[in-house]
Amino acid sequence: MKHLKPINKKAQLVDSAMQSTVSPTDELNEVVAMQTVVGCTGTTDPGWEVDAFGGVAGLCQPMESDLYGCADPCWWPAQVPDIMNTYPDWDKGAGSAGQDWRKLGEVFPGDKK
Amino acid sequence: MKLKNLSIAGLRRGANNHRCISRKLGSYPYVALVMCLLMTTVFVQAEQDRDYMAVVNRPNLFHLLDLEDRRIVRTCELPASVAPGTVVMSPDKSVAYILGGRFDRLYGIAIDGCELVFDAQFSQGNVRNKSIASLAVSRDGSELYSIHNPVTIMNDHYQVSSPKFVVYSATDGIDAKPVRSYPAPRQVNILATGHDGQVYLSGPDVYAFDPRTGETSVAIASRNAQREGYGQPDILTVWPLGSVNEEFLRMYSVPKFSQPGAEPELLWGYERVDLVTGETSVKDFGPLEEVLFTGMLRPHHPDEFYGVLTQLKRHRVSTQSVIQGVDLERTYYCINFSTDGSTIYLGGTYNDIAIYDADTLESQGKIVLPGGDMSMSTPQVFSALPTLVGDTEG
Repeated sequence: MKHLKPINKKAQLVDSAMQSTVSPTDELNEVVAMQTVVGCTGTTDPGWEVDAFGGVAGLCQPMESDLYGCADPCWWPAQVPDIMNTYPDWDKGAGSAGQDWRKLGEVFPGDKK
Repeated sequence: MKLKNLSIAGLRRGANNHRCISRKLGSYPYVALVMCLLMTTVFVQAEQDRDYMAVVNRPNLFHLLDLEDRRIVRTCELPASVAPGTVVMSPDKSVAYILGGRFDRLYGIAIDGCELVFDAQFSQGNVRNKSIASLAVSRDGSELYSIHNPVTIMNDHYQVSSPKFVVYSATDGIDAKPVRSYPAPRQVNILATGHDGQVYLSGPDVYAFDPRTGETSVAIASRNAQREGYGQPDILTVWPLGSVNEEFLRMYSVPKFSQPGAEPELLWGYERVDLVTGETSVKDFGPLEEVLFTGMLRPHHPDEFYGVLTQLKRHRVSTQSVIQGVDLERTYYCINFSTDGSTIYLGGTYNDIAIYDADTLESQGKIVLPGGDMSMSTPQVFSALPTLVGDTEG
């Protein structure tokens, strides 16, 4: 491990937590807890990737059937707007992702609620 | 298996039938009596409980479905968004409670019409309270439970506070506020109420929570499980299913090692609380062959476990084997069963409820909902008298 260097923020937090002199276990648990999906900042799941087996058969089919199920709880914060908090009208007039996906456009700072 | 539930109106009408036949067949009292009993029996059968489904979809729709006739009884409009669409029925089945409003509003709708009887806004002022599918109702129907995850929106930063277990009074109606709250474990999503009043919380472990005192204990160790030969289980759930079985259940995937360093066997299993007895169990039920999002034990067949996502799979728990599996036309997040265990209902994602035979896994059709996607909503199956839900055709 001594030859590995953390290159992102979470890895740096893990590294510093493990070196803590107070309570490494407690501090490490705090970092692990960051993985939870609560709101639009708790996950970095890139979405639309491969399934647990390295293929695509386990992914939702078609992709549109999974779109709102992942957008609503902010599971895909990088691919779709934060529909839970900041852009709740992003899907207005587009009730069916399969039928209406062309209506789902970009968002801009002026669209914020 | 249906519960026979007689109504006073049904008995009264049955008695009227008796008088009518007696007048016509006055000289044949025994024949009249037999015919009367037959007619009363027919009438009583018409007054039996039926299976219904309560489900929501975009943009703001609530639907009550008659599952036996496979028709929509009524559609109601809710005040705002239905996401996440977590539905829990009141114990007497008269009110459907729905977590909506983009995860921070709780509606109650009287299902014999479309009257909004409860409405609580979780976020207040600059404090945002989101709830990740956390909703349960007390066994007497008087209280509603949820988890608030508070974030104070400051001018230049967000201040995250500890989550709270909040209690609402069901009689507080519109613009309801919490009547009490307690510190809650972090990372909690779904809830369910046991017959003893304990509320079970799905978090890093499964917790038993006393809503009268706030006392918390671990009911099932999960992240902290120490199962010899097993790695850490991985769990995803935001769907409080299982009311048909009176169970709180969440699936896990887990690696099992025959010896240290060996290639692990990947398994599906479930953590379950029997809501009647409080008994807990952790069981592997089959090989990890596909990704599944929800699963349930088949009602009245405790050795059969079904799961769904893009495949529908039927497992034998005792042998940890797959009995049968079918590819689905598309992905469905949620599985549910008829109360007799004969029929499977798949929902979530788009806007149709797919119906499958539980013995053969053959498709039996769909109920298409008006409106848009169900997304991650939770369709609930329950049994009730047609008269209770205002179903005049039932």
